[in-house]
Amino acid sequence: MNAAQVPWAAWLLFLAPVSAILIGMFVVRPLKPEWTHLPILASCAVVTVCALLLLQRVLMGGSFDLNFYRWAGVGSWGVDFGLRIDGPGVAVLSMVAVVGSLIHLYAASYMEGDPGFSRFMLVFHLFFLAMIGLLTANNYVQLYLFWELVGAASYLLIGFWYHKESARKAALKAFLTNRVGDFGFLLAILLIIDSFKITHFHLLYFLVARATAAGHAPQFLPAIGLLLIWAACAKSAQFPLYFWLPDAMEGPTPTSALMHAATMVTAGVFLLVRSWPLIAAVPGLPDLVAGIGAFTAVSSAIVAGTRKDLKRILAYSTVSHLGLMMLALGLGRVSVAIFHLIVHGFFKAALFLCAGNVGHAIHQPTANVDEVGGWRKALPWTYVFFVAASLSLAGIFPFGGFFSKDAIVDAAMERGGLFALSGLLISAGSAFYIFRMLFLTFHGERPEQKGLSAHPHESGSGLLAPVGLLALGAVVIGAARPVVETLVAGGWTALPVGIPGYAQTMNLPGSTEIPGVALKALLIGMGMAALGAAAAYALTMVDAGWDWRWRKSSPALERVFDSDFGWKTLVDWFARGVSSLADFVGRVLDKKWWDGAIEGSGRVVQAAGSLFSDAARGRLNEALWWMAAGAALLLALGAAR
Amino acid sequence: MSGAVWATSGALFAVGLATVVLRRQMLAMLLGVELMVAAADLALVRGACRFMDPEALAAVAVVLAVAAAEAVVGLSLILRVLRSGRGLDAGELSELRG
Amino acid sequence: MTQCAIAAAGLGAVAFGLAMLWSRSLYVGAVCLLAVLLQTALIYMLLGAPLLGLLQVMIYAGAVMVLAVVTIMASGGGPSGERFADFSLPRPLAALGVLAVAVELALTLASTRASAPTPAAAGLSAAFGANLFHAYALATEAVTLLMFLASLAILPDREPS
Repeated sequence: MNAAQVPWAAWLLFLAPVSAILIGMFVVRPLKPEWTHLPILASCAVVTVCALLLLQRVLMGGSFDLNFYRWAGVGSWGVDFGLRIDGPGVAVLSMVAVVGSLIHLYAASYMEGDPGFSRFMLVFHLFFLAMIGLLTANNYVQLYLFWELVGAASYLLIGFWYHKESARKAALKAFLTNRVGDFGFLLAILLIIDSFKITHFHLLYFLVARATAAGHAPQFLPAIGLLLIWAACAKSAQFPLYFWLPDAMEGPTPTSALMHAATMVTAGVFLLVRSWPLIAAVPGLPDLVAGIGAFTAVSSAIVAGTRKDLKRILAYSTVSHLGLMMLALGLGRVSVAIFHLIVHGFFKAALFLCAGNVGHAIHQPTANVDEVGGWRKALPWTYVFFVAASLSLAGIFPFGGFFSKDAIVDAAMERGGLFALSGLLISAGSAFYIFRMLFLTFHGERPEQKGLSAHPHESGSGLLAPVGLLALGAVVIGAARPVVETLVAGGWTALPVGIPGYAQTMNLPGSTEIPGVALKALLIGMGMAALGAAAAYALTMVDAGWDWRWRKSSPALERVFDSDFGWKTLVDWFARGVSSLADFVGRVLDKKWWDGAIEGSGRVVQAAGSLFSDAARGRLNEALWWMAAGAALLLALGAAR
Repeated sequence: MSGAVWATSGALFAVGLATVVLRRQMLAMLLGVELMVAAADLALVRGACRFMDPEALAAVAVVLAVAAAEAVVGLSLILRVLRSGRGLDAGELSELRG
Repeated sequence: MTQCAIAAAGLGAVAFGLAMLWSRSLYVGAVCLLAVLLQTALIYMLLGAPLLGLLQVMIYAGAVMVLAVVTIMASGGGPSGERFADFSLPRPLAALGVLAVAVELALTLASTRASAPTPAAAGLSAAFGANLFHAYALATEAVTLLMFLASLAILPDREPS
């Protein structure tokens, strides 16, 4: 296949956002900044159509992987730009396109009137473009490029309201933590180049499969796998690098919805999916992934149940669900992980936008549990959408979440041991925190809350329609299960490669099936969810003031949860230590010692010079003496010879 | 006894060198230079007589004459310096001026 | 016999040389140098080159030393100031440098095998004379010219008017 045969949909996928951004930045923004959303929304529509067209194409077997342009090369290796349209990529791409477009629509109404409206829309769309690039990259270096771009957009959007110090700090924290992960990613890429000499996915899959089949896996493969996992932990907010995500809620709600729920944070999981043949080839790494995922999922689910800020509850929920995706991947269920990624995108985006509407009702960026209460009559539509999305999250049949989440729990149960336990805990825990949030916000009259005295009012249709569509998606997405299964099954190949024995050596790591409705999953999953929901009901409705009481009676316990079981304190201490080390290096080592040494060397030379200047006074006798001494020396040398 | 002349020549040369290097007055330095030349002459003559070489003796004669000429030139330079009024102390004469 | 005489003359020369080095007055120094030159002339004669000894006395002792003494007189006999120069190094150390040369010379001489001085045959002097006027004739004439030119060095400056 050559460049001429690439479907125009693939070109448009990039051309539309790029032209929208350029037009928006150079034409619309100077003239009429409040119209910046128009070219951008148009581009969103085009991208969605193209994504769905490509989806259809891949389903019919038309996936491809093509190099277009070598930007810089050294010998046989180079930085290539290419396109890889294959199953997993196009599945996630469709979700990103649909969810992203709806959130763009929401943002156009939500950010209306904000002085930075134009800037927001442009950076938001830049992020969208970067995400598309990340999903269609055909080699690690290109993926890294877009990975970084996504991180940069995240920084710009978290710190959007830059006059707020908390926003600035949160943006920096997110960026720097991601940087730590990106360092690992870079090392992994360098090791890949060293071991395999190329970074293209399809060639790498082949080489790894062949090497492990022959029994001599490359020496650095475990290191590569670990570093890629490290990078994914930073981007997808897993333990130990997850702590930036709750603070990232400082950004406007559309940002939180798109980046930190549906798309950017899933880039880490996507990286692992792309790298799965490499990681699965190392014994023990999949278990590590599963372990990290399970641990993160359980601990952040517990913390989510104790948060008071609505968006932060959802942030911890995102961390927990990303952990679930990692767990699925680690247990070998690649399709299930991708399916959950897609489903999660829908219901989490819907939940975030509902939280945005709740805040909007009282003219705030976000809302605290103290400021709301019993609003289901005041915000009827938001309430309905919230309930739908919550049921999906809790994994209740027949909502979408059931098919993905309970499949993961099922896999964990099959595996047994700690994984089974964590699966059960997550089922119960996620139901608990989401229903707690529901009940505290929309039900009950509690004296500790402001309740209806805050005079909330429902948002306009511009803010409701996208949420509704997302909630609808969260409900029905379960039907897409067989589609995703088909897509992922063809995922590691997706190209006409003239390497003999290519298909045969492709040993797909893990299974690509997504189980359908099974009685066992139904009972266990829904059972635990019901347990969680009941607990939430008991602790928020029956005992209405419980949530405030335990905080007052044991403030130490609250501190434990506030610091994420002490992890945040540890990270803080570590960061302070590193920054004081940097201060020491910069101030003492660099300025005092090094600069001092360099200047001191000049002083040494000066001193030596003044020492010898005595000899150059011009005294005749001295000169003669030196002559005589020199002659004596030469004589001695001559005699010695 | 056999090396007496050589010893004398060497010693005289050393003394002449010492005079040039150590003494302050320019004229004393000049005397030292003359002493060095004389010592070298002595060595040459000794060698010539040892090897029965008349041409070496002729060379010594030429050297003698040249040394005389050099002494004249040196003396006239010293007179010049004297006339410029800067004195003949080697310690003071540390700059090439005028 | 000649040996003793040569040795005695050598000793005397060295003694006068040291006296010249240490003399406070330039006149004394000049006279000491004169004595050294006379001693060396004596050695020349004892070695069997009488003509050279004569030349030494005439030119060196006679003409050059006279010029030196005249110049000393013109310079006022030298102020009775410091004899030895200042060095950055302490003086004993400076003297040591010169001593080192002397020691080295001595060692060099000691390592060579010196032979007994044989009184020259009479033929040496005759051959010397012949050389001066045949092989070295040109050199002799050139030296004469050189000495003449050197005398021009004493011409005084043109006084700026």
